[in-house]
Amino acid sequence: MTYLTSWEEFAKAAERLYLSDPIKCRFVTKYRHCDGKLCVKVTDDKACFQYRTEHAQDVKKLEKLTGHLMRHMASKEK
Amino acid sequence: MLLENDAFLSELTKLFMQGKSSRSVSMTMKRYDGWTKPKPRASVVAEPAEYKCLVRATLGNKKISTVINHKDVTKFQMVSL
Repeated sequence: MTYLTSWEEFAKAAERLYLSDPIKCRFVTKYRHCDGKLCVKVTDDKACFQYRTEHAQDVKKLEKLTGHLMRHMASKEK
Repeated sequence: MLLENDAFLSELTKLFMQGKSSRSVSMTMKRYDGWTKPKPRASVVAEPAEYKCLVRATLGNKKISTVINHKDVTKFQMVSL
């Protein structure tokens, strides 16, 4: 599985992948409260990067990243 | 099912509450260009004037989704986070 080791790597890979093909790229998050685990994946159906964590501090970083991406996706720029 | 932004947010909160005990809640975000009909093979695709963001969430086999416009992004983020 394409699990990356640090949040920074994941964030950078996500931005890169999105910028290379915005219409194809999708960003998935899965949260299991019973296990306390969060998994995130970014893919454009050719490449895929994943990150898994159990730390609450990563949730904050995830929120920032998703906000950033959401803004990009709904914006007018190409 | 496709919902308005506010309805989506309240349904999403319910999903997270229900999923607390045992199941995964999954969310997907993707850029959306507003097409509702299939694209014909031969024609040239027109460049959309404005993109939107499609957000989906699932819990088991229950699915909900919404479309966010640029002007709704700030509101959506403030409420959801």
